[in-house]
Amino acid sequence: MSWELFLDPSLLRLAVAMSVPLVLASAGELLMERSGLLNVAIEGMVTLGAAAAFLASFAAGSTGLGLLAAALSGVVVAAVFAHYAVAWRQEQVTVGLTLYVLCLGLSSLLYRVVVGVRLTPPRVETLQPVVLPVVGRLPVVGEVLFHQHALVYLSAAVVAVVHLVLFRTSLGLRLRAAGENPVAADTVGVDVFRLRRASAAAGGALVGLAGASLPFTLTGTFTEGIAGGRGWIALMLVIFGRWTPVGAAAGALLFAYVEALQFKLAMVSRAVPPQFLQMLPYAFAVTVLVRAYRGARAPEALGKPYHREARA
Amino acid sequence: MTTEAAARGRWQVVWPYAGALAIALALLAALVAMLGGDAAQALAGLVRSSLGSGAGLGQTFNKTTPLLLGSLAVILGLRGGVFNIGVDGQIYAGAVAATGAAFLLSTGPKGAVLPVVLLAGLAGGAVWGSLPGVLRARLGVSEIFVTVMLNFVAVFLVEYLSTGPWNDPTAGEAITRAIPPQATLPYLWPRAGAHAGILLALAAAAGVWWLLFRTVFGYELRAAGDNPSAALLGGVPVRRAVGLALVASGALAGLAGAVEVSGFHYRLILGLSPGYGMMAILIAVLSRRHPVLAVPAAMGFAALLVGTDSLQRSVGLPASAVFVVQAVVLLVLLATEGVRRGAP
Repeated sequence: MSWELFLDPSLLRLAVAMSVPLVLASAGELLMERSGLLNVAIEGMVTLGAAAAFLASFAAGSTGLGLLAAALSGVVVAAVFAHYAVAWRQEQVTVGLTLYVLCLGLSSLLYRVVVGVRLTPPRVETLQPVVLPVVGRLPVVGEVLFHQHALVYLSAAVVAVVHLVLFRTSLGLRLRAAGENPVAADTVGVDVFRLRRASAAAGGALVGLAGASLPFTLTGTFTEGIAGGRGWIALMLVIFGRWTPVGAAAGALLFAYVEALQFKLAMVSRAVPPQFLQMLPYAFAVTVLVRAYRGARAPEALGKPYHREARA
Repeated sequence: MTTEAAARGRWQVVWPYAGALAIALALLAALVAMLGGDAAQALAGLVRSSLGSGAGLGQTFNKTTPLLLGSLAVILGLRGGVFNIGVDGQIYAGAVAATGAAFLLSTGPKGAVLPVVLLAGLAGGAVWGSLPGVLRARLGVSEIFVTVMLNFVAVFLVEYLSTGPWNDPTAGEAITRAIPPQATLPYLWPRAGAHAGILLALAAAAGVWWLLFRTVFGYELRAAGDNPSAALLGGVPVRRAVGLALVASGALAGLAGAVEVSGFHYRLILGLSPGYGMMAILIAVLSRRHPVLAVPAAMGFAALLVGTDSLQRSVGLPASAVFVVQAVVLLVLLATEGVRRGAP
């Protein structure tokens, strides 16, 4: 086995493609967490997004409708979460875990109702790569970065937009204030409740799209375990990236690389049982997490309900 | 408080549960109707197949066992302020250890083999819980992620063992060879097919209650969960208590895995846990983190599981529907609590 395998352009290209669900889901979660909402339902929301995308595309034959359905499913679940967390001040991890279970069940249930029982699972069309003009002709870099499907370019744009909104606009400043010190923010006229609900909805749409990317770019089908822990890993990436969209996206690329590498290794090596290679990304996640926690500082009010009448 | 007020207070606790149950049953009926079945007949069948017959009750007891042990595992964590989302992985780790012990001791006497198999399950789960425990105690790493990631590792480990070295070549599936008869759990109620696991689970519920409310460790754990900084100032070794709680939590889940192997499947299989860990979280919240209240809650969920199993056969209700119903029960309950709290 030669070391060139690890830098093979086709491997890197696969890694970039596989980063899409992680980039979108972590960007969505990050938006919510910056406003103070800790949503641990996103593994379920990714699954539901995948189901919604698959089913809309299966029933209507349109990938665009599939993306829309996935985003909408994310918005709805996130809105429910935000209502419990913001209006009813329920414990956010509890509500998140409950919604996680609900989303998993709902995904399979919807699949069963729409698709029914079949011998061979139906497939939907997957996205084809779009070669960008000029940059697509660059050697190696062109193949790795610019021979990708549309969602890769979309997720790069999402990272840029989330970064700019959070750190270069007054809306972003207010959103971060709601997550750091809601009392102070409220005092100067920031509507903490509305901001939290809005950031949940926006983040939910991104998490739903992350789900859509799974059937549309990787599998073409829907199965119960389609998310495969990507939602949980996205949740970790937010910490890994120190609550910045660029940092989280960098982490997403790293994880996607390990994931893609595991596929490559399984093709090359027959000596190691495939299950041990499949453990690799998850074991890697734990190792990285240990380092990520060193010196990490979450938004001050993360996970804490804001109650106007409560004494600080 | 006057008796009248006390009665009203009790009623206020009870009615959201009754309401949530009614909504869940209505939801289930609607699902059955949507799939083209007779809703009234289905609900009657649900109750009959889970609680209304000896065999049904036996199945409900068998399902109560892993659900109760799993929810006790979650409760132990929650009391210390940590979320053990890795019960499924710990169940698998316990099942692996128990199966391995059963294979190793295939020639031993029954009286010795079974206890060792169950203890191996406890140990396997404890090992799986110790990694998040240590990382949390030493480095402050969130146990949520570590426990979840270890779920995936455990599932792949079981897949490897059940298709590889321990595979039963005649089965053609992800199933291991059967464990020797000395390693199997005896029946409690043979005619109903109920094994003795329920007794272990009930004993564990009593044990967790005793641990939480009658020992220094339990006091420290609860203090750590209620207010970590105050506990620390009061001299409670918060990190140690929380880390140990995760290890003990893993051990309880591991025992559930061992019981599933030695009492129900008699082998290790890939689908050993149909999401017991997730249901355990819901049960723990539903029972307000109380080990004794977890008993009826786990039994209710088990009855729902057995009942929807029969609906799966009769009207083709997907197995996952039970997740929807269980989650809705909890969401309704959380909503009624939320509404009472009033405006933000």
